[in-house]
Parts: sequence; C-alpha cells; structure tokens
Amino acid sequence: MRKIPSLWIRVPLYIVIITIMLLVNLPFIWMLVTAFKHESEVFSLPPRFYPDFFDFRNFAGAMEQIPMGRYLFNSLFVALSVTLLQLVFNSFAAYGLSRLRFKGRDLIFLILVGTLMVPPEVTLVPLYIIVKNLGMIDSYRVLIIPFMSSAFGIFLLRQFFLGIPRELEEAAIIDGAGRVKIFFTIILPLSKPALWTMSLFTFIAHWNEYMWPLVSVSDPKYQMIQVGISQFVSGWETRWTYRMAASALTVVPIIIFFFFVQKQFVEGISVSGIKE
Amino acid sequence: MPFMRRRTREALAGWIFISPALVTQVLFIYFPLGWSFFVSFFRWNLIRPMRYIGFDNYTSMFTSSDFWHSLSVTFVYVAVTVPVSIFIGLLLALLVNLPWLKGKGAFRTFFYVPVITSMAAAAVIWAWIFESNVGLLNYFLSWFGIKSINWLSDPNYALVAMMIIGIWKRIGYNMVLFLAGLQVIPRTYYEAADIDGATPFKKFLSITWPLLSPTTLFVTVMQFIASFRVFVSVSVMTRGGPAQSTQVITFYLYENAFAYLKFGYAAAISVFMFVLMIIFTLIQFRFSKKRVHYL
Repeated sequence: MRKIPSLWIRVPLYIVIITIMLLVNLPFIWMLVTAFKHESEVFSLPPRFYPDFFDFRNFAGAMEQIPMGRYLFNSLFVALSVTLLQLVFNSFAAYGLSRLRFKGRDLIFLILVGTLMVPPEVTLVPLYIIVKNLGMIDSYRVLIIPFMSSAFGIFLLRQFFLGIPRELEEAAIIDGAGRVKIFFTIILPLSKPALWTMSLFTFIAHWNEYMWPLVSVSDPKYQMIQVGISQFVSGWETRWTYRMAASALTVVPIIIFFFFVQKQFVEGISVSGIKE
Repeated sequence: MPFMRRRTREALAGWIFISPALVTQVLFIYFPLGWSFFVSFFRWNLIRPMRYIGFDNYTSMFTSSDFWHSLSVTFVYVAVTVPVSIFIGLLLALLVNLPWLKGKGAFRTFFYVPVITSMAAAAVIWAWIFESNVGLLNYFLSWFGIKSINWLSDPNYALVAMMIIGIWKRIGYNMVLFLAGLQVIPRTYYEAADIDGATPFKKFLSITWPLLSPTTLFVTVMQFIASFRVFVSVSVMTRGGPAQSTQVITFYLYENAFAYLKFGYAAAISVFMFVLMIIFTLIQFRFSKKRVHYL
C-alpha cells in the first residue's frame, strides 16, 4: 500500500494543476467572454471577465461579414466525405495487407505506409499544379479526392486486423464464404473500435485543415471554415467581438464533440502515437 | 471462377482490395513527390512554358540569404518549442499521474483541448490575446511592471509569440504520450525505492526518467518534425513579418509558389524539406531499434 500524502501537500498540488488547466484553457474562455461582449466593453481596462449583458448580436454580425454558415457547412461536408471514403479505402487496403497473401504484398505495405514520411508541404506545389490542370480548383472534389486514403488509417486498421484471430474466419471459409463476405460479416463488425478511432482522427484533422483549402480554393462558395475565419484577421477594420464570435462557432462544436469522444481519441493517440 | 487456382484467386482478391488506396496514394502523393523533383529543374510560373535550367534553382536557393534566413528562423523556433513543450508536457503528465489525484480523466481532457482545436482558430484567438493595447497578455504582464509589448508587430517579439502558441498547442499531446509511457514502468521499482527510503526527486531521476527515455525520444522526434512544419500560425497572424522575423521555411515556400509564382524554385525548397524530413525519420528509426533505456 502506498501512503497518501498529507493535505499540506495535496491541496497546493491541486491548486497548481487547476491553475495550469485554467491557464491552458484561458484563450477559449476569453474568446467566449469577448464573443458575448458589447463592442464598447471590449476596450475597457482592466479587462472584464464577465460581459455586462449577453450580446448575441456579434454572432449575427460575424455571419453578415463572412458567409459563416456556408463555410461551416462546407467543412462539415468535406470532413464527413473524407472520413467516409477513408473508412472504405483504408479498411479495404488494411484487409488486403493483413489477410490475403500475394506476391509483392510487403512492398505494397511499405509504399502505402511510406507516405507518412512525406509531409503535405512537400507535395503542396505539384499537387496544386496537378489539380489545376485537371480543372479541379474551386470545387468540393479538390478538397476531398486527394485524401480518399491515408497511411495513418491503413496502418492503424492493419494492426488491428492482425490481432483478430484467424480461427474466426476459417469456419466461414469451410462454409464456402468468399473474401468479400468474410470482410463484411466478420472483420468489419469486430473492428468497430479501430474504425471509430480512425474516423475521429480523420474528421477532426480535415475539419481543422487550413493549408490545402487556402491554396486550392478561392471561391467562397467552396471555402472551408478555417481559412474563412482567418481571413477575418487580415481585414483590420473587423471587430474583435465578431472575430471571437466566429472563432467560437468554429471551435466550440469541435470541443463539445471531443468531450464526448475523448476517451477513444486519447487512447488512440497513446496506442499509435500519431496525430494528423 | 473454377479454373483459377486458390492462390491465384487470393492474389487477385488481394490486389482488388488494396488497389483503391494504392491508386490514390500513388496519384496524390508519390506522383506529386516525383513532380516536385522534376519541376525543381525548371523555371516555371504556370503562364509561360517551362524552361529547363538544370540545378539553377538549387544554386540560387543555397546562395539566397532569404532561404538561409528562413531556415535559421525555423531552427530557432524548433530549438525553443521542442524542449519547452516536452518539459511542460512531462511535468503535466507527472502531475496528472499522481496516484491520489482525483479527476484524472477530466484534467487530461482539458489539457488536451488545444490539441484538437484548429491552429487557424487558435491563431485568431491568440491575436486578440496578443493585442498590444488591451490584450490580455500585456495586461497580465503589467502586473509585473512590464511595459506593453507589440507582440505581433515588433520584430523582436513576433517569433516569441509564435513560439508561445506552438508550445501551448502541443503540451497536451506530449502529456498524453508521456502518460502512456509512465503506465509501462513497473510499480515494483517504485515500491523497492520506497523501502530504501528514496525521495520523490531521487525516484524520478533514477527510475522514471531513464525508463521513460524511449517515450522521450519518440516525443522529441515527433515534435521536431511537427515544429519544423510550422505554417498556420505564421500564415494567419504575421505572414512572415514584421521585417521577416517570422519567415519560417514553410511560409517561404508558400510565398515563392503562390505569391511570386516561382513554382520551380518552390519545388526545389520542397525537395530540400523532404530530404531533411527523411533524415529526421531515419534518425528516429535508428534510435528506436536500440533499447534507449540503458544508454
């Protein structure tokens, strides 16, 4: 049995941890406070941590200045599409790599996972030229199609599939089930945790994506939210209250979503050590 | 397909299963990567036809003071953010790992929030905190008698501001990896140390720190690569300025391609970055094969 330290040690340590926690989250707290402030309150010194009254007009103001609704929809649509496509493409590839024997399989595995070593900045310029030549600039396609599969997802799912006992499939093979049937009726249902983890990572990574939509989209009709709100900064006349309201609309849904799924998410990081 | 042998059928199925992913990875990563090498030997602005210029892009890159400047800015950024974010991440992991602490899950979750939020939104929020007249940071600093700093418009401080955001964004990630590393250390070691009457500090130095070394190395390499790629905070907040003080290599690449339309030159920078990344990754592979514990 380990002994529990006295209150004189525990209480200060609790205070330290809670203080750090508040400091780390202070930007979000400050964002929310500002988002509800009246324009005239923003420049008061010392800064006030509670608004005089909750002013929802900043959200309407932000939505008037930039097409927030459209941006949010685009981000949701793109991130969901990428996630769904990756579920299919990555799990197919992972199954082929973990369960089917064929010549050159190990090489294919290296080729697929080797892309982890290629950061997106390196392929940014040529990828832009390619999609430009294909006439894909300013479309949903340009935001979705290049990301239909990912090394991270394939790797994660393959590791998981390898852990599924083969005996489970052998019975089905004796019964004459084909590969496709085994994949859909045995492997996929058993892999829900891994599929879920992969989906969370993919969705959040693409919701947060900034660089690719910045270069490949200039039409606000297809622009994603991260580029959308960042354009708010360059317009110097924009009000801080509007900016914070727009940031809140971008960040708060993801934070709430994260609170619901944080367990799988954080465990996924510990297991794979990979972030997007 | 009765005429096919079982192994042929299996091979066929295998290729069918992997081909969608293989095709997309080749088309959207390997092909562009090859293109990068190819384009780096040309002068090209997408308007006039490409012109082969041999190694000219590379020689002008290695003789460009802007290139070396951006590389040194990036390395200064990396040299500060990596150790500081690892130190704070480890400290948080040790705190959250205290056996008697209640609400571990909640602390872990809250420390992790900056990691999952987007850097673009974070940069917008931090721009408000860094605001020089009524920003929160200058207000806190005024308690200590520090005069207001123009965080984003003073060349001496803009990079520091980028570092603060970078560290803030990553400590939660490091904490989670260290927490995972801490769970692997056998409790019996600490129990033995308790019997010997070791102080907590002594236990950290002779048990925790050495046994964490594989995690520490992994975190260091991950952070090194991630910091090296810093782009979003610069792109949103300072656009390389003021006076090029935040001109990191990725932003230099971005500007050359999409502002100056020097696509060949930008491709040469991409190739350079790629080679650096490969070197970092190989270092990681090399070390992680050895058992770092007993070094």
